Amino acid sequence: MKTRFLNIFILSLAIALASCDEPFKLDPKQTVEKVVIEGLVTDQPNRQSVKLSKTNSFYSTGPSPRISNAVVTVSDDLGKTVNFIHNPRNHRDSVGIYIPEEAFTGEIGRTYKLRVDIEGEIFEAEDMLAQVSKIDSLSYEIDEDEVDDPEVEGKIYEVLMYIKEPKDEVNFYLIKFYRNGVLTLYDNNDIYISDDEILAENIDGVAGPTIYGIGDEAKVELYSLSRRGYVFYSDLSNILNGDGGMFGPVPSSPRTNLSNGALGFFQVSAIQSNTIKVE
Amino acid sequence: MLRYLLVLTFLFQFFTAQSQEKVTLNGYVRDAGNGEELIGVTVFIPSLKAGTVTNDYGFYAITVPKGTYDIQYSFVGYKIENVKLELNGNTSRNIELSTEAEQMDEVVIEAKPLDENVASVQMSKNTVNMTQVKKLPALFGEVDIIKNIQMMPGVITAGEGTSAFFVRGGSGDQNLILIDEAPVYDPSHLFGLFSVFNADVIKDSEIYRGGIPARYGGRLSSIVDVRTKDGNNKCYEVNGGIGTLASRVAIEGPIVKDKSSFIVSGRRSYADLFLRAAGEDNIVYFYDINAKVNLKYNNNNRFFLSFYNGRDVFKFGGDFGFNWGNMTGTFRWNHLFNDRLFMNTSLIASNFDYKLGLDDAISGFEWTSNLQELSLKNDLSYALNTKNELSFGYHLTGRSFSPGHIQPTSGSSFFSELKLEKMYALDHGIYVSNQQKVSDKFMLDYGLRLSVFQNVGTADVYLYRDPKDNVQQDRTDTLHYDAWQTIKTYVNLEPRLGIRYALDEKQSIKVSYNRMVQNTHLLASGTVPVPFNTWNPSSYYLKPQLADQIAGGYFRNFNNNMYEFSIEGYYKDFKNVTDFADNAQLFFNDDLSTEFRQGDSWSYGAELMLNKKQGKLIGMATYTWSKTMREIPGVNQGKEFPANHDRRNVVNIQASYDLNEKWTFGAAFTYSTGRPITLPEGKYEFGTYNPDHITDRNRYRLPDFHRLDLSVTLNPRKNLSRKWKGQWVFSVYNAYNRQNPFTVYTRTKEDDDGNVVGDGTEKEARLIYLFPILPSVTYNIKFNCF
Repeated sequence: MKTRFLNIFILSLAIALASCDEPFKLDPKQTVEKVVIEGLVTDQPNRQSVKLSKTNSFYSTGPSPRISNAVVTVSDDLGKTVNFIHNPRNHRDSVGIYIPEEAFTGEIGRTYKLRVDIEGEIFEAEDMLAQVSKIDSLSYEIDEDEVDDPEVEGKIYEVLMYIKEPKDEVNFYLIKFYRNGVLTLYDNNDIYISDDEILAENIDGVAGPTIYGIGDEAKVELYSLSRRGYVFYSDLSNILNGDGGMFGPVPSSPRTNLSNGALGFFQVSAIQSNTIKVE
Repeated sequence: MLRYLLVLTFLFQFFTAQSQEKVTLNGYVRDAGNGEELIGVTVFIPSLKAGTVTNDYGFYAITVPKGTYDIQYSFVGYKIENVKLELNGNTSRNIELSTEAEQMDEVVIEAKPLDENVASVQMSKNTVNMTQVKKLPALFGEVDIIKNIQMMPGVITAGEGTSAFFVRGGSGDQNLILIDEAPVYDPSHLFGLFSVFNADVIKDSEIYRGGIPARYGGRLSSIVDVRTKDGNNKCYEVNGGIGTLASRVAIEGPIVKDKSSFIVSGRRSYADLFLRAAGEDNIVYFYDINAKVNLKYNNNNRFFLSFYNGRDVFKFGGDFGFNWGNMTGTFRWNHLFNDRLFMNTSLIASNFDYKLGLDDAISGFEWTSNLQELSLKNDLSYALNTKNELSFGYHLTGRSFSPGHIQPTSGSSFFSELKLEKMYALDHGIYVSNQQKVSDKFMLDYGLRLSVFQNVGTADVYLYRDPKDNVQQDRTDTLHYDAWQTIKTYVNLEPRLGIRYALDEKQSIKVSYNRMVQNTHLLASGTVPVPFNTWNPSSYYLKPQLADQIAGGYFRNFNNNMYEFSIEGYYKDFKNVTDFADNAQLFFNDDLSTEFRQGDSWSYGAELMLNKKQGKLIGMATYTWSKTMREIPGVNQGKEFPANHDRRNVVNIQASYDLNEKWTFGAAFTYSTGRPITLPEGKYEFGTYNPDHITDRNRYRLPDFHRLDLSVTLNPRKNLSRKWKGQWVFSVYNAYNRQNPFTVYTRTKEDDDGNVVGDGTEKEARLIYLFPILPSVTYNIKFNCF
């Protein structure tokens, strides 16, 4: 949170100072194809999946190439292994997505290990399922900035969160905001993460970034992250919002728990959520 | 063996020289108009072909055999003063030089002293011509000596709109920037658009990029030594200016005529005053205050007290804001023990701090950070004889680093208090050097500096399972250190050597070697430092950075010293150059030491310079070719890569022409190869995001940078008896409106209205450029002698 805040700030300042920006044609020197893995195991039913794809050329449009012939398994530290199978319902949108052969939910404190075998090339990762705090309640109020200058016409409410942050343990959080069931970011490169080092025990009425109108249903999901997960999302945010290394850091690939040079992350999280209707 | 023989030879020469009957001539050289001491005046005795130059305090001393001599005092922009003196005993003679009337070219003097460019042992040094700087075009009309330094040979910039500069392959934090001997840790205003130096109060500024004298230490790549004016000690003077962006005023005058004087100046940007009046919430301004008093108690004792304070303030929407600033203070005592032994003692304090805060009930916080330094410097020079001038001294500095402290500003804030460990360091420097005239042809400057650096408590040093793992920073133990207890001591010897061989009176060859040690490191992972970067001392984990540099050059003057020419080559080898792991988290990190990566860097290059310092047309043209690479374990997968500031070809030309008393024209042109940049090779999908796929660091280059600036200065011919003079400076920045690349970033492709195109998977790269063609006007006013 704190870094993101500063980097974005510096970039926006650089852009504000800039009288102009214009399109710039990239001319990549090489076409490297890398495996991208997006794995998720949670403590909620039906929220375990692994998506396999490849890197794409910079100027491509549409989805990136998917990998559908891999052997994917997830095992826990008790030795239980679950096979993940590719797109069992043969859904057109789910090419490259693997789901468990038999349903399971993650347990807090367990470590999970992902193994992906793509034509003999092995990629592995492990992550720990950490506890997450409860979102005690939500409320909403008018966001004055949106009244003055609405991003979306009529969406002038922001949602406030009330959470008790346990100070006797180290926690990392990822927060997702939904509007009427759809994941909604204020800016499409936003990632909302925080460590608890600078958080007070009582989070009373901190506003979320997503804006709502009358009749909208607001849902907030709080994910626990391991330290590795937090570092991954923080790096991802840096690369999405970087300034090309002028004031901010030189861009580089996010640090990941995946082996063998794969991009992406294998995330293991507990999820707490709460919902409120704006009336 | 050869080395010992050489040492013996020197010693022998000392004693043989000592045995003759000698007298010493010394004194101060001043400007006749305002009493300012002049730095770098050549004092030359043609019959002996011997000479010296005035030091940083305007003092000179030369030891010669008894006799009667013609002595010349010469300085660019001033009339040459010839004095005939009978030296039967030690003699003190203060000299006043008057500024030259119009046509300097007509004055023809025989046996003119060698010009500094050719004659001095010092190479790789440039002086900012303060008179000329004011005639050259400037961004928004703000005269900026750092921008002028960026035009010097061997100096590379990160782009426009930044005060950062890179000297002979060094990083942005390897320049020691001094104002009246006090270090300025961040010389930028408005993120580098301007520097903190107000040209109205600057007397002299020099940059050393090689052959650095032993009295300087602490940074690897350059020393920028800025000296402020002492203030007119003959009559009162007011200088002021109203610019496009900022206004300034300076008042100076005698406290006791010829004995004591003061100067006070202020500068402030004023755009925010209009913005405030227009009801705007977003406010940006900066200001500078310089003040100095001096007392010439007697010829043997002088005292100076100088002060600088400057700050930038940004406020957004009334609740979010930040500011940063430098404050420095210097107390100096110049003392003459006897005719030959000159001492300067300085007590120096410097503070840099920044604050960042949000004023809000729920998310309010204040983040502060600072660096404080207190130092005592004792520098002595001893005019041993006509052939040897000894310098020696001792510097002691204590520093305290407070990298960060976050505090909630209200009881209901969701922030909790967090304070990063403070760090303390003691820095000792002892040096001795000698400038020796071996023969008419050979001149040497050799010295040695001993640097002893101690990182001391109070501190807790964390030990890690793997000190290079910046993801799982598992601490295994904590070492506690009490106040002043030594954590680490780093001892380094820094040899310095300069050799000049004069081919004749017009040309010379010079060679130099220096080793530099740096024990304060700026934690910045971008190309350009920002004020929110913090400094760290060498510590348990961070080793001192070292640089060895050899340089050689040919120096030649043409047309009775009208033109100065030089060509220099250098090779510089860096050890433990400080960099950071890929994705390093440098802000507010309790486990910062896991992000440090130190490794090798090397740089080499050639620099050409043609300089004309006299006449109606003055100017400087330079060309620099250089290459700078780095290889650091843990950065760019350990593979070598071009440094962020590796610009291969740089051309700078600046000139001013005095058409007549009324009109002066100025022009500056700059060209450089685009800076290296890391760009994506592709992209990939993760969740709803499409991040760039990055492979190698600095594999690409931005397009080339070039720009022409023009200026016209108008001195209206008015009533000559009037007590004040006005002056208009019109300038045009980026005259042919080049869209110079600042940086490139990528984003989801948007249409002209800012809406995402298609399904949002498409990306685009955007090039940011800063300034289009920008005209500006400044009106300067000067009230003389009242």
